[in-house]
Amino acid sequence: MSMIDNVQNLAREWLDSKEVDAIFGLKEQDGYIAPYLFTDVGELSCLVISNQYRLCYTCRPAKENILSLMLQTEPNAKIGVVVRGCEERALIELAKRGQVDLKRIKILGVACSKEDAEECRCEKPYPGNLVLGEKVEGVSGDENVNALLSKSLPERRAFWKHEFSKCIKCYGCRNVCPMCICKDCKMEQELYTETGWLPPGIPMFHFIRFYHISDRCIGCGECEKACPVDIPLLTIFKLLQKDVKDLFDYEAGMDVEQEEPLLTTLDETPMREEVMDVGV
Amino acid sequence: MLEYKNVLTTCPYCGAGCNFYLQVMNGKLIGVMPCKSHTVSQGKLCVKGWNAAEFVTSKDRLTKPLIKRGGNFAEASWDEALDTIAKKLKEHRDVDPDSIAVLSSAKCTNEENYLMMKFARVVLGTNSVDHCARLCHASTVVGLVQSFGSGAMTNSVRELEYADCILVIGSNTTEQHPLIARYILRATENGAKLIVIDPRAIPLTYFADYHLKQKPGTDVAVFNGFMNVILSDGLEDKEFIKERTEGFEELKEAVKEYTPERVEEITGIPRDKLIEAARTYAGAKRASLIYSMGITQHTTGVDNVSSSANLAMLTGNVGKESTGVNPLRGQNNVQGACDMGALPNVYSGYQSVADEKVRAKFGSAWNVELPQKPGLTVVEMMNEADKGNIKAMYIMGENPMISDPDTSHVRKGLENLEFLVVQDIFLTETAQLADVVLPATSYAEKEGTFTSTERLVQMVRKAIEPLGDSKADWEIICNLAKMMGSREFGYSSPAEIMDEIASLTPSYGGIVYDRLRSGGLHWPCPSREHTGTPYLHKEKFTRANGKGKFWGIEFKEPAELPDEEYPFTLTTGRIMFHFHTGTMTRKTELLNREVPTGYVEVAPKDAARLGLANGEFALVQTRRGQIKIKALVTERVPEGVIFIPFHFAECAANVLTNPALDPKAKIPEFKVCAAKLEKVKVS
Repeated sequence: MSMIDNVQNLAREWLDSKEVDAIFGLKEQDGYIAPYLFTDVGELSCLVISNQYRLCYTCRPAKENILSLMLQTEPNAKIGVVVRGCEERALIELAKRGQVDLKRIKILGVACSKEDAEECRCEKPYPGNLVLGEKVEGVSGDENVNALLSKSLPERRAFWKHEFSKCIKCYGCRNVCPMCICKDCKMEQELYTETGWLPPGIPMFHFIRFYHISDRCIGCGECEKACPVDIPLLTIFKLLQKDVKDLFDYEAGMDVEQEEPLLTTLDETPMREEVMDVGV
Repeated sequence: MLEYKNVLTTCPYCGAGCNFYLQVMNGKLIGVMPCKSHTVSQGKLCVKGWNAAEFVTSKDRLTKPLIKRGGNFAEASWDEALDTIAKKLKEHRDVDPDSIAVLSSAKCTNEENYLMMKFARVVLGTNSVDHCARLCHASTVVGLVQSFGSGAMTNSVRELEYADCILVIGSNTTEQHPLIARYILRATENGAKLIVIDPRAIPLTYFADYHLKQKPGTDVAVFNGFMNVILSDGLEDKEFIKERTEGFEELKEAVKEYTPERVEEITGIPRDKLIEAARTYAGAKRASLIYSMGITQHTTGVDNVSSSANLAMLTGNVGKESTGVNPLRGQNNVQGACDMGALPNVYSGYQSVADEKVRAKFGSAWNVELPQKPGLTVVEMMNEADKGNIKAMYIMGENPMISDPDTSHVRKGLENLEFLVVQDIFLTETAQLADVVLPATSYAEKEGTFTSTERLVQMVRKAIEPLGDSKADWEIICNLAKMMGSREFGYSSPAEIMDEIASLTPSYGGIVYDRLRSGGLHWPCPSREHTGTPYLHKEKFTRANGKGKFWGIEFKEPAELPDEEYPFTLTTGRIMFHFHTGTMTRKTELLNREVPTGYVEVAPKDAARLGLANGEFALVQTRRGQIKIKALVTERVPEGVIFIPFHFAECAANVLTNPALDPKAKIPEFKVCAAKLEKVKVS
């Protein structure tokens, strides 16, 4: 039996046995795939797995994570979620911040294929809580990161200046980010970036987000995929993830109990000196 | 249990035709999600698209019909409102059908535009139906038809990425069609040369190989200069000219006098830059030309458009992938509103009202004797209303009080009407003048199709139920037509309307909802088996004899030039964060935060001379009117030129603009008029 049959069957079992009240997954209709909340087992034949969409995103203008909204709207429901590696990491980070109650989510963890992992440049293409599918190795080393690191600092600055000059201020990178959950977003504030201008202030418009997300980015790459002008945002976040790992021995999305370093460092672990001159 | 779904639909803002999902939870809109498998948007959106859900549920939405009594609006039932309208329109129709004029809407669906033009012609008995395409691309429809035989974008958006050279003239693509600019940038990253011809420094100029800053209104001279250089260097495509075109000798004669030296005098573009840019365009294997309102909104709009067609034909850049002449249409469905015949001289598919056979075909399909007399265009309607010849108007989804030139005159015209109906989703500046206001639904509450700038017909899907008592425009038109006694409006769904459109419109012959559900179709799509036409004029041009036609065109000055009293050239346009008359974007928090009000861009030297500092208020005056507006001192505009975005009612650029018209296309000259500027103290 194919992977998708297994996922559909398990989802059906969970719904039939009332273990969950609904299954949040991807639905295919007329050749288009989009997130959907399945409550009727009859519809499960349209349930698909794809690396096209993440099931963990902030809805705007509500400015709430989709699962958080669902759990709030239906306070007694338990929801099964078809989850891949990146989505599980996102859920863990959201739970840390009190955004979702993991006790009310039943994870149907699925492994991604090698092709999907390569397309997403994903280092860990499976959830810790793997229910269906075979783990494949993640991508190790990143060509784009290596290419950038082989350049001199002035070259790198010129590279990013060119990339940020293309920005059309759509806020898409923030809008799709599963970790961008602030109600009061600093990117919108004139304190950091003068409003109404194109391109938006270089580099502060982007840097304020990089800073905010640096220890919670789970590397899903949605920001890069949402960028209308192809700014290589995943590359910059891979560099940030590496810095966070090197400096704090911390990886986002691994463990709900592990506190985020940018919150704890000030009172507990002292920041090491190198922090001050990290270049991206 | 909770319901949550994502409904795929087409963006209601510009003509790029992006698709996205509307997120719906328990019947309420909770957000927008890009669609990754969509051809143009590819999972990306601009800031307006991302925020396209917010205005839908704005507290300002109209939810009940309104009837004006004693100067104030009172809520009314649908029956009462439609009955009032039916009676009044019948009175005027029975005296003289041509005393009534209709504005259709580039914001509404194809089906609704088709019904509105049918309503005007069948129920009211007049051809006076037009819409805001008159104000943006009327010159495109005329100019490209006389050159190529078809007045639409020749190629498709995605092809831009594979061009070797892209020439952008009069289009601030990044701000007006952001997702089309995406493909221009991708082309430059593939090594394509980018030539931007624009008086202002726009975001694209940063990435351009050549930025030629012409004086506003000198585009014909620029084009003729390009062609003069190409011909003197022998870079023309001789085989293409011989096999595919006619009128070459006439063109050659006309451009002979436009030497780089003379063109420099007229346009201000240094001769060396002109020569280099012309050689770059002519030397490219595949060159795409993009233009927009920067060249169409002139008294020489048709000349400008046909000049761009001349240049493309001269170099053989038509009828192939990644080439062509590509007018970018400003509204989500302005292409469709034109295609549907919401124009005074044609029915759907540009079939001429003047052609007896065509009239007979539509007349027999609609069981009526159709009016022959050509109708009035937008600006003519306002003039005739002012004179008292137009007595009643029906306006659907348009806001001429902000969008039309010389708005003081528009107000006079509308106030002079005996009866005005406005059908809209908000109580716009225009709706406030109406006798009856009908609450329509937004794109999110109805089904239908939009046709994007690249002739791509795409589905609009209903995500939520209509707000309050509002109704979809197509339902309102059907109900009113029935109340006025017509039997030709008994449709049960938009799909049924599309079937009728397909049966009467050759270019839409193969368009049917079942095919559109899995993706759009590029017209011409003449049959159910036809897969659509991404680029036009492949083997022959659409003109009757199959040839493209060169037109020898002389440069003419704009209608109003700066003088001692009005020393500045005023030009107008749009910006990234707002759309047209601001009806939708100014009800969106994020967009208002970015740009809360209008401004006039002034060059630093001019500002210094006037003692005007950034952020201070200026009084801008023209022969039509005056506005107070904040100054933005910036090098984006050259000396002597000022720029005002036209979105903002409180400092409306169109109080100032010149209603002088292109003689053929009747498009007003929004892009050039003479103005004076002084500093004011605002208390």
